[in-house]
Amino acid sequence: MSAVALSRPARVLRIEIRRSVVPWSVPLILALFFFDSYRTAAGFPPNWTVHASAITDNLAWDFAPFAAGLGAWVASREGRRNTGDLLATTARPAWARQAAALGATLFWLLLTFLAAVAALYIQVALQATWGGPPLWPVVVGAVQVVTLAVLGFTAGALFPGRFTAPLAAIGAFLLVFIGFHAALNLTPDSSTNALLSPATGLPLEDVGVFYHVAPDVAIAQVMFMGGITVALLGVLVVAPVFRVRGGLSGAVGRAGRPLCAAGVVLLAAGVAASWTAFALTGTAKLGVSGWDIPALHDAASDQPIPYTPDCAGTAFPVCVHPAFSGYLPAAAAALQPVAAELKGLPGAPVRAEEVPAGEGVRAAQGMLLPGMASPGVSGTPPVYHYDGNNGIAPFLGSPAGADNARWRAGFQQELLTEFIAGPPNAGPRPDASVLPPTAAQQAVITALMTVAGSQAQFGEDMTNGHPTAGATPAQIDAAAQRFASLSTAARHAWLAAHLPALRVGEITLAQLP
Amino acid sequence: MTAAEVRTQPAAPASPAWTGAPGIRLVWLHLRSRRVPGAVLALAVCGGVLRAALHWHWTFTSGFLAQQFPMIIGGGAAAVVAMTTHSPFGEPERATGRWLPYLRLGTALAMTGMAIGVLQLAVTGASLNGGIFTLARNVIGITGIGLLASLVTGGLLAWILPMAYVAFAQYALLEAWRNPWTWPVRPPDDRGAWICAAVVFAAGLAAFTVRGARTAPADS
Repeated sequence: MSAVALSRPARVLRIEIRRSVVPWSVPLILALFFFDSYRTAAGFPPNWTVHASAITDNLAWDFAPFAAGLGAWVASREGRRNTGDLLATTARPAWARQAAALGATLFWLLLTFLAAVAALYIQVALQATWGGPPLWPVVVGAVQVVTLAVLGFTAGALFPGRFTAPLAAIGAFLLVFIGFHAALNLTPDSSTNALLSPATGLPLEDVGVFYHVAPDVAIAQVMFMGGITVALLGVLVVAPVFRVRGGLSGAVGRAGRPLCAAGVVLLAAGVAASWTAFALTGTAKLGVSGWDIPALHDAASDQPIPYTPDCAGTAFPVCVHPAFSGYLPAAAAALQPVAAELKGLPGAPVRAEEVPAGEGVRAAQGMLLPGMASPGVSGTPPVYHYDGNNGIAPFLGSPAGADNARWRAGFQQELLTEFIAGPPNAGPRPDASVLPPTAAQQAVITALMTVAGSQAQFGEDMTNGHPTAGATPAQIDAAAQRFASLSTAARHAWLAAHLPALRVGEITLAQLP
Repeated sequence: MTAAEVRTQPAAPASPAWTGAPGIRLVWLHLRSRRVPGAVLALAVCGGVLRAALHWHWTFTSGFLAQQFPMIIGGGAAAVVAMTTHSPFGEPERATGRWLPYLRLGTALAMTGMAIGVLQLAVTGASLNGGIFTLARNVIGITGIGLLASLVTGGLLAWILPMAYVAFAQYALLEAWRNPWTWPVRPPDDRGAWICAAVVFAAGLAAFTVRGARTAPADS
């Protein structure tokens, strides 16, 4: 008897799954996934965490309108076909019918979602040399799909019109967009809404490599969206009560007191969970492992992840984190020739090591991470510290794609600029933009790169109609050619004598030999 | 009271006679059967959301991302227009006379114009990136996609393909695609984009006028 009773809901669910409209949309969703998520992620570095960001960023766009729209379409079926009164006379309650329809919709949506995630993770597994698949982005993405589907389903059940489905789809689209907009405008002062949005800007290339990514924000997002889902389910359970005539008490009596109580409990629990998540997110602070929520934070995730760097070269070893070992041949081939030019000069680096990227996007947002090694030449003996997020030669995309003349030149220019011109300086202009190296510094950098067989990539920066560097690109190039034409010994001797003055900007273009 | 009075029910009062031209009554009944009043309300919702987004800065105000929000709203308005292609009468309606194709044509044109007008009204006095011409082009082109989709899926599911196109256009916008058939990402005065949008609309309108939307929804 119990076996028969248990099999009935399963049989209804199976019928709903077989007759669901969602599979007809799966080819469209997969086509969108291929163009949007899969191709976009193919341009990411071979880092599991960066690839996983495509789940909550791109995949959300692909699924949002379909999850909400199809949810609304399925839920409005009885109203659309005017079978509400007919079905009200059956023994099975309304919530049981709705549960089967919603279950079938979620089954197909989640199956498609997980297939897309699997494709993304197989893509990165074929490239990654370090780490493993992060699971929190998958959980957040799945909960997001479920929440949007339940949101659309509730709208369809409450307002079963023909326009409910497209309006629900548009609404879901806009919700994702507004979350994306908030995430891109993330600041320490207004972070709650932005952090509750699963969307993010493109993370730094080495996120999750040197430090764990704390799951705090992911937990809060799951709690927030899960709370909304539970509250909406409560609304679905309670909704039939308000359709029965004869006063609220009579309606509750006919609908069943336990059912009404369950609906109210679901509604209250969902609202409480979402409110708690919202309050917790308001306490988030930026740390080395991302955004930390003190009540959810595990201090162990702040510890650096131990690793043994991959190195190449003997005269000038170039080391990368093993997650980026694919870039090592290109990085070593780029740095060895310019390191040879610098060898013996005061303060010349003896090796190159990769450090975590603590600047870039976060620096632009005024959220520099405390206590992290910064790029530049430092230490005794001097070591060139670089990160994989530099502007002109990042560890981005396929390592094979990065191994080209332009990328190598950019990588060399980063080292020479740090050594010759020192750390970037903010200018006196209102926008406090970073000043380019002086004309003499640019000429020396260009000359050393010419000797190494590369071409420097300085743009022309203007202030009040005059070159910020103090000379035009043509004048700088002429001086650079003059300096490059010197013998190696003469160039080296001049640099050894004038390097301190060149670094502080006291050498003019005319003073170059 | 006698038994005869009970057996012979008095005739029900006739409904108020239509005093206007029969053609207008036919148009009105056609519009009602397509839920056009509800569609106008849905278009007003789209316009209201667009106005609210511009007023409360839910969207980017400059740069290529500023085009996203109006594009989504334009896609939504086009999807609503596509939903009005559904007829509740199904196949029998096709045997009722020769006016049906003209009614379809007029309704689709009027709804497209109304969608553009409502959105224009919503952005009046606000700063819209790309201007109303980009929005109008999006509505025209995506409505064409919706009309074509209605031939295959039926009117009630004709919103799916326009939504998919809008989602794809988001990707094309971020990737800076330049193909004319990705007209939502092109500048307002781009001739190729206008031609593509107009061709899709014309094809959808012509096919819908001649054949009408599929009468049975795809999930029936």
